[in-house]
Amino acid sequence: MTWSPKLATGLGLAAAIVLFGLIGPMLTGDPATIRDIGLTPPGAEHVLGTTLTGQDVLAQLAGATRGSLWVGVLVGVMATVLSGIFGIVGAYAGGVVDEVFSLFSNVMLVIPGLPLVIVVAGFVPADRRGTWTIALVLAITGWAAAARVLRAQTLSLRTRDYVAAARVSGEKTWRVICVEILPNLLPILASQFVFAVVLAILSEAGLSFLGLGAANASTLGTMLYYAQNGFALQREAWWWFVPPGLVIALLGGALALINFSIDEIINPRLRDRARRKRDVVAVEAEVVPVDPDAVLTVRNLNVVYQAETPVHAVKDVSLTLRRGEILGLAGESGCGKTTLAYAINRLHRPPAEVTSGSVTFEDFDVLALEPDELREFRWVRLSMVFQGAMNSLNPVTPIRAQLHDVLRTHRPGMSTPDREVRCAEVLRLVGVDPARLGAYPHELSGGMRQRVMIAMALLLDPQVMIMDEPTTALDVLVQREILNEIKRLRDELRFAVVFITHDLPLLLELSDRIAVMRDGEVVEYATAEDMYLRPRHPYTRQLLASFPSLTGEAGALIT
Amino acid sequence: MTTLEVRGLTKTFHKITAVDDVSFTLAPGRTVALVGESGSGKSTIARMIARLVRPTSGEIVLTGPDGEPVPRRGYRDHVQMIFQDPFASLNPFHTVEHHLARPLRLHGRSRSDVPRLLEKVSLTADFARRRPHELSGGQRQRVAIARALAPGAKVIIADEPVSMLDVSIRLGVLKLLARLQREENLAVLYITHDLATARHFSDEVLVMHRGRIVERGSSDDVLVRPQDPYTRRLAAAAPDPEARFRQGGQS
Repeated sequence: MTWSPKLATGLGLAAAIVLFGLIGPMLTGDPATIRDIGLTPPGAEHVLGTTLTGQDVLAQLAGATRGSLWVGVLVGVMATVLSGIFGIVGAYAGGVVDEVFSLFSNVMLVIPGLPLVIVVAGFVPADRRGTWTIALVLAITGWAAAARVLRAQTLSLRTRDYVAAARVSGEKTWRVICVEILPNLLPILASQFVFAVVLAILSEAGLSFLGLGAANASTLGTMLYYAQNGFALQREAWWWFVPPGLVIALLGGALALINFSIDEIINPRLRDRARRKRDVVAVEAEVVPVDPDAVLTVRNLNVVYQAETPVHAVKDVSLTLRRGEILGLAGESGCGKTTLAYAINRLHRPPAEVTSGSVTFEDFDVLALEPDELREFRWVRLSMVFQGAMNSLNPVTPIRAQLHDVLRTHRPGMSTPDREVRCAEVLRLVGVDPARLGAYPHELSGGMRQRVMIAMALLLDPQVMIMDEPTTALDVLVQREILNEIKRLRDELRFAVVFITHDLPLLLELSDRIAVMRDGEVVEYATAEDMYLRPRHPYTRQLLASFPSLTGEAGALIT
Repeated sequence: MTTLEVRGLTKTFHKITAVDDVSFTLAPGRTVALVGESGSGKSTIARMIARLVRPTSGEIVLTGPDGEPVPRRGYRDHVQMIFQDPFASLNPFHTVEHHLARPLRLHGRSRSDVPRLLEKVSLTADFARRRPHELSGGQRQRVAIARALAPGAKVIIADEPVSMLDVSIRLGVLKLLARLQREENLAVLYITHDLATARHFSDEVLVMHRGRIVERGSSDDVLVRPQDPYTRRLAAAAPDPEARFRQGGQS
């Protein structure tokens, strides 16, 4: 766990206040003792002065802090238990139970909290209005929002395979909830608990200030109430009302800081990261004599993730992509193939950094491009089809609008009918009926959506297309159609393709040359034929052996 | 001999028939491969056999070693499942020990069997203390296999057990499953979309298309000499570099 300054400050402040509430009342004497020194300013005798009736403010503050904390914890526990029962149990049980629980939570949620609390607290006679009554009222009006959050999270957790696995192994329902689901909800429960405590302390202070709080209890709110009734403000007795107000503010602030930290632990993306401005570092624009037929030349490229322990994700990679060539980039997860593709496109984000090497596109240095030149370069000269791209279409607009958008951005002079013609043309190229232009993404199958993404990448006639695992999420029959499509397009349009995948047999069938990557390095770079018939590197041989042939000798693998 | 027989299994979701009248038998020492594309209904069959989903009609009959049908309560002592995604099937909060000790205890065995189970799947005993995030995908899937074996199950449903793993470790996990199947005389249902491993690791192949079994038979018959047009298309669609270079190459 990260010990952020926020968490340290929050915990430190909260601990100090809790300690003051716990130990303070034992050290400061009886807060109720009446003396004839009303409204004495702070001094040696009474560190925080006295009230109108000569009571020691410090002693009162200690007792009031304890009282407020007690209300806060009571409400926190009760509200968390209620939200757990209605959120977690309902969501796990599903069906009618879930619907009834969910409806009840929603009804509780729309009932305005504070007015209800005031009405309820007002109806209970003052002599029967104890701390427990107030806590109960606050808990009942304050649990519903947390229940909804817990419900949503539980709905997602209950479909996880580890919950199914626990059921298959024969665990009882209550054990699945308590042992498999609940621990994974702990961060959320903790944050909801802290939130409920803050809310309870503030609401109780508000109620007490209005004179609707617990009768014979002493809390920060009742202290303020008495200060108000004793005209502390008019008599300029700041020492009477500032300390309780300050404790409330500090406690609220401390608990809010703790809550932020819990949120950061749940969602690491919220953590502050030192944003680095530079994305290209120490790149000499050395002019490399390039193969005249080459469109894209990568020379000794190094990409490092500048984390606490830097990760050298791409090590000294050199590749050449010729016009009309399909270059396969093979490797397993974490080998750096996607990082390499991103760096070629300058799409890498900090902490990833190009530390040395060059990327040359035809005759210009990609790593030296200015932002507006870069925009022109991407998509127009070099386009990319991302992994899982078919799910990156905007679900709420038809594909026509999304294709038109690309043209509108990059070809501002083009008229609407011309754009329409071009869009229909690229759809036809990838084997999608242009009549589907009006379709929304959900109306198309996964294979169709992937074709639309390829069409979008083709819109501006790029010379190079980088495809990162474009068929991995698709079934073999669809994959076959798309591969045939890519081969045909390459032959017709003569563009070059960098095809990234873990599927080496696919590359052997499709590509002209193949680079096999492992741990950031290109371990073998050869023509497909050489790689298939004469693999040199042991890792290439291992990868080749990982794909049994459908037609070979059966049973040879079982040893 | 523990045998599981599936007869006329059907499942409809909101009028869509996901599984349509499927019947087969899982017998000890044999692996049946259920092959098909996504949406063909193969995972629904796995979930029905694992009693996670209730069939709309049809029956699943489990016969125990004594030749008698196994009562409902004892079903999970005999039938266990290995899930597709080892990153989702282990609870991130719990240690490996928890994942193995719970099923051991639920089925009346001692938790002192944990090291023996780990050894069975070629992991060392010190893995027991680790948590899922400290393990690689292959190690996780081995733990998932050990969990399925923990109750002493003799029927194992393996739902795409290697499709989420890195290619270079897939065969290792499949070989481990094959070894365990021989050593423990297990009846295995191997669900996959990969025809090649189905051929090499199974005795019988069932090809599913839109909820129905369109072709069945010995793995060589079905996959090397397919009769059904759909199976033929599937077999022809798999990348085949051999064909390219055998014909002299075009590159």
